[in-house]
Amino acid sequence: MFIEQVINGLTLGSIYALFALGYTMVYGILRMINFAHSEIFMVGAYIGFWVLSSLPVFLPGFLPAYFLAVFILAMLGAGLLAVVVERIAYKPLRHASRLAPLISAIGVSIFLQNLIMLTAGASSRPYPEKLPLEQFNFFGAQVSSLQIFIFGLAVLLMFILTLFISRTRLGKAMRATAENHIVAQLMGINVNTVISLTFIIGGGLGGIAGVLNGLYYGSVKYNMGFLPGIKAFTAAVLGGIGNLKGAMAGGFILGIVEAFAAGYISSENKDIFAFVILILVLLFKPAGLFGEEVPEKI
Amino acid sequence: MKWLTALLLLIIAPLIGYHYGNFYALHVAGLVGIYCILCVGLNITVGYAGLLDLGFMAFCAIGAYTAALLSIKGLSFWITLPVCLLLGGLIRYLIGAPVLRLRGDYLAIVTLAFGEIFRLVANNFDWLTNGPKGLPRVGEKISEIRLFSLSFTNDLQFYYLILFFLLCTLLISYRLEHSRTGRALVAIREDELAAKLSGINVPRVKSLAFVLSGMFGALAGAIYVHWIGFISPEMFTFWESVLLVAMLVIGGMGNIAGALLGVLLLVGVPELLRPVLGTRFVEYRMLIFGLIMIVVIIFRPEGLLPSKRRAAELHAKDE
Amino acid sequence: MYRALLIALGILTGFTGCAKSPAGMKVVKIALVCPLTGDVAAMGQGMKRAAEIAVEEGNAAGRFQDIKLELAAFDDRADPKEAVNVANQIISDRQIAGVVGHLNSGCSIPASQIYSKRGLLMITSASTNPKLTLQGLKNVFRICTTDDVQGSFAANYFIDKLKITRAAVIHDKTSYGQGLAEEFKKQFEIRQGKITGFDGINIGDKDFRALLTSIKNKKPSLIYYGGMYTECGLISKQAKELGLPVPVVSGDGVFTPEFIKIGGNATEGDYASMIGIPPEKLPKAKAFIERYKAKYPGVDMQPYDTYTYEATSLIMEAIEKTGKDPAQIVDYVSRAKFSGILGETTFDAKGDTLNKTISIYRVKNGKFIYCE
Repeated sequence: MFIEQVINGLTLGSIYALFALGYTMVYGILRMINFAHSEIFMVGAYIGFWVLSSLPVFLPGFLPAYFLAVFILAMLGAGLLAVVVERIAYKPLRHASRLAPLISAIGVSIFLQNLIMLTAGASSRPYPEKLPLEQFNFFGAQVSSLQIFIFGLAVLLMFILTLFISRTRLGKAMRATAENHIVAQLMGINVNTVISLTFIIGGGLGGIAGVLNGLYYGSVKYNMGFLPGIKAFTAAVLGGIGNLKGAMAGGFILGIVEAFAAGYISSENKDIFAFVILILVLLFKPAGLFGEEVPEKI
Repeated sequence: MKWLTALLLLIIAPLIGYHYGNFYALHVAGLVGIYCILCVGLNITVGYAGLLDLGFMAFCAIGAYTAALLSIKGLSFWITLPVCLLLGGLIRYLIGAPVLRLRGDYLAIVTLAFGEIFRLVANNFDWLTNGPKGLPRVGEKISEIRLFSLSFTNDLQFYYLILFFLLCTLLISYRLEHSRTGRALVAIREDELAAKLSGINVPRVKSLAFVLSGMFGALAGAIYVHWIGFISPEMFTFWESVLLVAMLVIGGMGNIAGALLGVLLLVGVPELLRPVLGTRFVEYRMLIFGLIMIVVIIFRPEGLLPSKRRAAELHAKDE
Repeated sequence: MYRALLIALGILTGFTGCAKSPAGMKVVKIALVCPLTGDVAAMGQGMKRAAEIAVEEGNAAGRFQDIKLELAAFDDRADPKEAVNVANQIISDRQIAGVVGHLNSGCSIPASQIYSKRGLLMITSASTNPKLTLQGLKNVFRICTTDDVQGSFAANYFIDKLKITRAAVIHDKTSYGQGLAEEFKKQFEIRQGKITGFDGINIGDKDFRALLTSIKNKKPSLIYYGGMYTECGLISKQAKELGLPVPVVSGDGVFTPEFIKIGGNATEGDYASMIGIPPEKLPKAKAFIERYKAKYPGVDMQPYDTYTYEATSLIMEAIEKTGKDPAQIVDYVSRAKFSGILGETTFDAKGDTLNKTISIYRVKNGKFIYCE
């Protein structure tokens, strides 16, 4: 049972980590909580659903191509949606109070959720079963090929992202903008482009997390983003909001904690744990595990 | 003079409506009244103090569940009401102590988290709240509100009861707004640091606003459960709390008129248009509200019916 | 600006003071309340279609002299709070003579109290929790059998026919789900079976792995689920994925093709009990099924469609014979000996039908097959 919960936790954590990266990247660059990110996640899952549903008869040889198509389309779609949202709902508020973008984001969240609900239906839609599932035995615990795939894909994407941020010029530009917009601009960086790029990447990762969530649980629903969204945000805060490594670590930690809490303490109340962690972190250690303490400047 | 006519209208119109058999509109009027109490209460935190509260419905829930549980045991409404108010205020105070010193957006998220925790507790702690099945349990009954020999049972009577409490709420809110504490709240909202340096006891003033608004939430909940006779955790989701915030944003934060307008537009209008436009339209309303919320916060953040001061605050940046 | 507020207030109070326009030709409505959107929507939509056929046929046959019969469909989203809202709307509408609904017991129970305030008839074709008719309300009737029969029937079936001795029970904490699970548990234990666990999950949950893992450790031979098809489908799927290949058994809330769609291949070998005997075995019901398929080709029939048709037909007969006064309708129904597509229906003093059969179905090759 222990190993099984670890495996459950790592799989869950992979999804949370990818999802949390979106929150942390946007916060790092704009100091805003992108409340609508949970809906980007949901739209990504739906895109995956639509692509999978409209694919022709399943031919074994084409499996990798299919999945590549699903993920790329979901990533592009979600990323695009994220940047459109940014342009319409957040950009005009860049110089307003801190609360204004949050309220705007909540409005976007309501809008997107209801849009999908009214167009795609209010009931759960089952994800098409196109994946051949194999079970492996790992030290007495059952692992499915899906869990391995999710974990592997997440780690791969996180690795690529880390390389991108640390080695490429664009990555450097993103880090610079996160430090200080004005100085970055003075250095010749087009801050608006960098911000849009951040949303595309963060949104894209969120979209992939959505597809993985849909595959793992076998269903999508218009309100599937809310609860995982809060948990992913908790993960981001836990790791240190604004910090990429923190989001990844936070995601896995939260996933494992949740799996263990559900398995050993109470499955019913597992959601309460995430909320309690969120409150405790924000109250007592808002910088999280890897974040820097930013003193209040008088 | 204007207020007197408004008051008279509010008192007489429903009697006419009842006579002609327009029961649904009366029911909606009662609902609007409850939401008004909630919104005016929330306005104290969000509007006066400028603290975004995304978990307000939890306090409506606390009021409702407390009233339900005590009423099932047989206690009279007039005894349970102070208990609800006290409990709502106390919990608000306890939560407020650590939470109110947080920065704006973090505060919002923490209130969201508390709101959800309360809902999950109401949902999972079956032994207390009967979980998703709601209260009252089968075989139990929420006792009626009795005043001397009068028993409140139908929509018309409840309308007047709600109106009475709403007027009390309005009075208290108005007096707060025009008091020293009210001005202190405005000062905190505009610039917390400057307020602190001017000698205002910021934590205490914030706490007062927080606690008072929580009590209004509990009041609304207690009345609601006696009126409708049923509560379940689904009434207190995050989206209900957000709807209240939307009412304030769209109607106008920081003043009572704005709160009332927000309720009329977001609750009154869709419900009354339901028989005319059909239930399908009502499903679109959240979609429309989300859109309006975005538009309003970008182009007219002070809302439709703002207080002049708030409008000035928000547009000061434009200079 | 305050003037604007005043004007708005005025308009609103104007609405309140508005008189309802009197109808020309007398319109009498039958309200149908069920989940038309949300996770149980498939079943609710089926009920709506069946009720619509009944009303159409009734009007076409010219049974109601100067009354135009209409169906007013309301959506309760399977949510008790919404059901209460809708019930309040319904009792405000004086054109409504009776209610067919709700689907979920969790909705029917609180709503029935509101209908009884106006003495409005409520016949449910799908709510199976016994408590509904134990409330002592005179206006509540039920045309389907109850969960005390359903749960214990299932317990007996699996002990006798399949010699199962260990079962794990999960429920969704609603009046229906928890109620059914409790009935099953009660009977199973009376028959010396061992219940390895009795756990609640929340509607809307999607991740049952942690729970199923801990259930797996207790080695049950069967999982009994009290609740609706969406969660049950996911439970079945995840259980098999975790290496717990035992049959998942549930009640009428799961007896729909949607369950198989959601659970996929994992549902092979799962069971569901259902109220009544298969409609195909009754000639008049069979004819109704043909008419239904002709009107809605390609649409799966849902489990409560025949019952909803029956309930609607019963109210229609009451309106035909007594007019639109709710009290008289209630009186007629309580004494009725209704001969419909499901055979003879009469009600006992509590409002339950005396027709109390249960059937068991098993999923084979992607369809529910009747087990004798």
